[in-house]
Amino acid sequence: MSFVWRKRWFVLLFPLLLAITFWQIKVETDLNAFFTATDDEDSRLLAGLLKSGELSRRYLLVVEKTEPAPGISNPGETLNSVAAFSARLVAQLAKLDDVEQVWPADQPPLDWIDAVASYAPYHARLFSLNPQTDAPALFDPTQLATKADGLKQALLSPKGNFVKAIAKQDPLLLSLNGFKALQGQFQQQAKLGSGGALILQSRPAALDSEAQTRLQAAIHASFDSLNAAAGGAFKLSMAGVPVFSVAAQSEISQDVTLVSVVSSLAVALVFLFLFHSFSALHWVMMVQGASFVLGTLATALAFPQVHSLTLALGASLIGISSDYPIHVMVHCAKHSNTPLSAVRLLWPSLLMGGLTTVIGYGALGFTGFPGFEQIAVFALASVAASLGLTRWVLPALLTNSSLHSAHLPGIAAWVNFCGKHRKILLGLFAVSVVLAGLCLPQIRWMDDMQKLAVDMDLLKQQDAAVRSHFSSIEPGRFVLIQADDWETALQRSEAAERRLQSLKQAGVVSEYHGLFPWLVSAQLQAENAKFYQGVTTPAFQLAWQAGLAKAGLSVEKLGSLLPAVNEPLQPAKIMDSPVKHILSGQIVTGQTGVMLSLWLGEHDPDKLIAGLADLEGTRYFSQKDKLDHLASKYRDRSLAMLGIGIGVMALFIWLQQRDMRKVLLTLLPSIASVLFIFATWALMGEEVSFLHVIGLLLSVSLCVDYGIFFIDNRGKDADVTYHAIASSTLTTIASFGALGLGKTPTLPILALSVSLGVSLGFLLCPLLIQKPTNK
Amino acid sequence: MRIKHVVFLLLALLPIAGLADDAVLAELLARIRQTGQAQFSYEETRILELAAEPWHGQGVMLSAADGSLVKLQLQPTRVIMAITDQRMLYWDPQQNQRHSAGLDSAGPAGAQIKVFRTILQGRTEDLQMSYDIAAEKQGKQWILRLTPKPELTAEDSPSIEISGDDKDEQRRILIKQADGESTEYRMQKATTAQQQEYSLQRLLREASGE
Repeated sequence: MSFVWRKRWFVLLFPLLLAITFWQIKVETDLNAFFTATDDEDSRLLAGLLKSGELSRRYLLVVEKTEPAPGISNPGETLNSVAAFSARLVAQLAKLDDVEQVWPADQPPLDWIDAVASYAPYHARLFSLNPQTDAPALFDPTQLATKADGLKQALLSPKGNFVKAIAKQDPLLLSLNGFKALQGQFQQQAKLGSGGALILQSRPAALDSEAQTRLQAAIHASFDSLNAAAGGAFKLSMAGVPVFSVAAQSEISQDVTLVSVVSSLAVALVFLFLFHSFSALHWVMMVQGASFVLGTLATALAFPQVHSLTLALGASLIGISSDYPIHVMVHCAKHSNTPLSAVRLLWPSLLMGGLTTVIGYGALGFTGFPGFEQIAVFALASVAASLGLTRWVLPALLTNSSLHSAHLPGIAAWVNFCGKHRKILLGLFAVSVVLAGLCLPQIRWMDDMQKLAVDMDLLKQQDAAVRSHFSSIEPGRFVLIQADDWETALQRSEAAERRLQSLKQAGVVSEYHGLFPWLVSAQLQAENAKFYQGVTTPAFQLAWQAGLAKAGLSVEKLGSLLPAVNEPLQPAKIMDSPVKHILSGQIVTGQTGVMLSLWLGEHDPDKLIAGLADLEGTRYFSQKDKLDHLASKYRDRSLAMLGIGIGVMALFIWLQQRDMRKVLLTLLPSIASVLFIFATWALMGEEVSFLHVIGLLLSVSLCVDYGIFFIDNRGKDADVTYHAIASSTLTTIASFGALGLGKTPTLPILALSVSLGVSLGFLLCPLLIQKPTNK
Repeated sequence: MRIKHVVFLLLALLPIAGLADDAVLAELLARIRQTGQAQFSYEETRILELAAEPWHGQGVMLSAADGSLVKLQLQPTRVIMAITDQRMLYWDPQQNQRHSAGLDSAGPAGAQIKVFRTILQGRTEDLQMSYDIAAEKQGKQWILRLTPKPELTAEDSPSIEISGDDKDEQRRILIKQADGESTEYRMQKATTAQQQEYSLQRLLREASGE
């Protein structure tokens, strides 16, 4: 195809490609989806909990009075009390579309009360978790008159309607005995608050940051309008996972924009400095733009959603994939070649350079992070596109562009210096390698994944302040029960609850939220029923009726204690009722079997783990510990991938060169730079995470290109080749350096690792690889 | 001709009869409307579905200008039920039962005590929003019948009768639930000596457990 048509097709297809990509792409901003691997049951569980866990969807809201201005009296004191204002706010918030439920923290939502009442027919089967221990007191015939009097008082109390509905089916109110712990939870909360603590459950998942941003704005708008009417007497604080997710999303969005803009600008400026040609800049940027778009499109086709971090890191690839056109253009400018002849000359080196880069990024895909799988696909597509466009389209685009390659001061001098003092420098290098090797054992590995999260200290302080108004159930740590079927899982859960009761008495855990009696095993139901049937003898019934008569209650309506219902209350039936929503945070969806979680208040993890040790299918689960464990697992994988990546690169270079010495020389600068960087981090006490390792893996994949270009020296002019490498290094540093501006800690880590790696690799090239002779 | 005259007179006087009813209603509503604090002694009779016989209690009611209301039951046992700051408080020292809930989330009991407060404090506008009110006056005795507006209130809203005499010393309030249960209060304004015996704020503090 002629150059004219190549150019026309390119100009025509580029916007079309852009349009298809916009149509196809769905961008995701959830950081956890990017980093949390899902290759084992626990990781999947963790990812699921982070993504859509019930507790994660909850906002904790606290309404408090602002400090009154001195000298200003407040006439409408009652209307302006925290409790009254909170009640109005609850009513207002309940109307929002994205709000599933909102309720004051010190009392159960109304549908919970209805749900409790629905258990009355099963009272004989679920009155106690420990029927053997509790039955003697519960069915003490001498206490029946007191019990009847208590029932009368309950019927006369504000809860009379609720009690009446239960008493008609369960005159001894046995089912309420099972729910005593639930009542205790709310009483505990009532002691804490002034009525201003509210819980809001959102409909959208915690990490659906778009919906959560909308909801947070609506919450603030509702509060502001009510507060304006109350004379601005109140302030609202919010906490909860969605608050963090929205803040993180905002930070990441800013990072993506900043990195993309600065990276593109920096590469453009370096390019202009190097070639003094707007026309060439325009065409090369078009080529890189097309590569970026192709990478994005391939990722969008391969994955349901493209993560915004993929795009941010992808933007840095602009700098890398511009290496290929730059090499061509430096050779064009220095040797006054046509772009076509330059690209033909350099093609084998470019191809091998592209291949090693793809291998590096491909190795990322095997580190186990979902996000890096995306980046691997992105890199594969965009590097391939960049290579292809450089080979077949760029010469057509550059036909009328005049190129002037800038002379980079010091480049030739460094090459000559290395040549002149090679022996001394190599000696120093050897000593440095030994010293660096000795430093390696001192490396401090980062074991806390939280350090990689966006820094939100202010938000964390606010979170702690808000949480102090609530009883302390921790969202990230719980007892996990696993079994193949419901019955076994429930039996295990009941055994764990009994154990937690004793641990609570021993002060190991402040409180816990179990599943009893919302869900009760058939075995425990049978046990309860057996006790009930055993004690409700005719004599017992007569004593109860006497108690009722003494209390002035209707013997006719409350006097007969019905036998236990024949069929146990099945979990399937409960999970088909509104109770499902109450328990949804504690029924964990796994791939196999049944997983239940028992939520914990403040606790001593070690004592708790020891206390639960002998219970089958029961273990302590901590999201943070799990993440930290994953951090070390990721690090090991990253190190393995660094080694494998280097091995595969070596293999491909050997396949091309068939000379082991050349293979080693090509790889040496990059491997040495990795060694020195690790040693420097060890000396500086830098905590090294898997991201640092990944950054170095990328730097190796880029540096190896320099070795290839330097050894190949296809232009037969080592100065020109090194100039071209220097230009590539500059654009790489320009693009990866831009990542350093990001506030998400992952970006500066990658910026530092890659920039250091390529700079050192670049400097080591002429030292470790003898200057090729200019033929 | 005579029939025609009668019909004409009836039609002509009909609006006046309506006006007369409205005037009675306005007068009675004005009678129960009151601001500021008040105190009553009361006798309560409750008919419960699950009780064999009516239950009787007696005590004191205290109401404040800010909308707080305390019902202090003295017989047969001491129990405090109160509303303040849009919250309902309940304290039964004998059973050691204490409840506290937002009025809007306290269910039927919350709804009922809210209506009761509305009546006691004479917030007639609130009553007229939720109830159709009919007024009746016979000699010195008067009666207001409140029927829940079907389109505005829940199915189980109670119907209410408030009655009294010209002197306003005594008042009777009968609340009939949809399920047949009822509560009747016979109330009398407290004497000055009685008024000094109880403090609303102190009782509120006791109820809230402070």
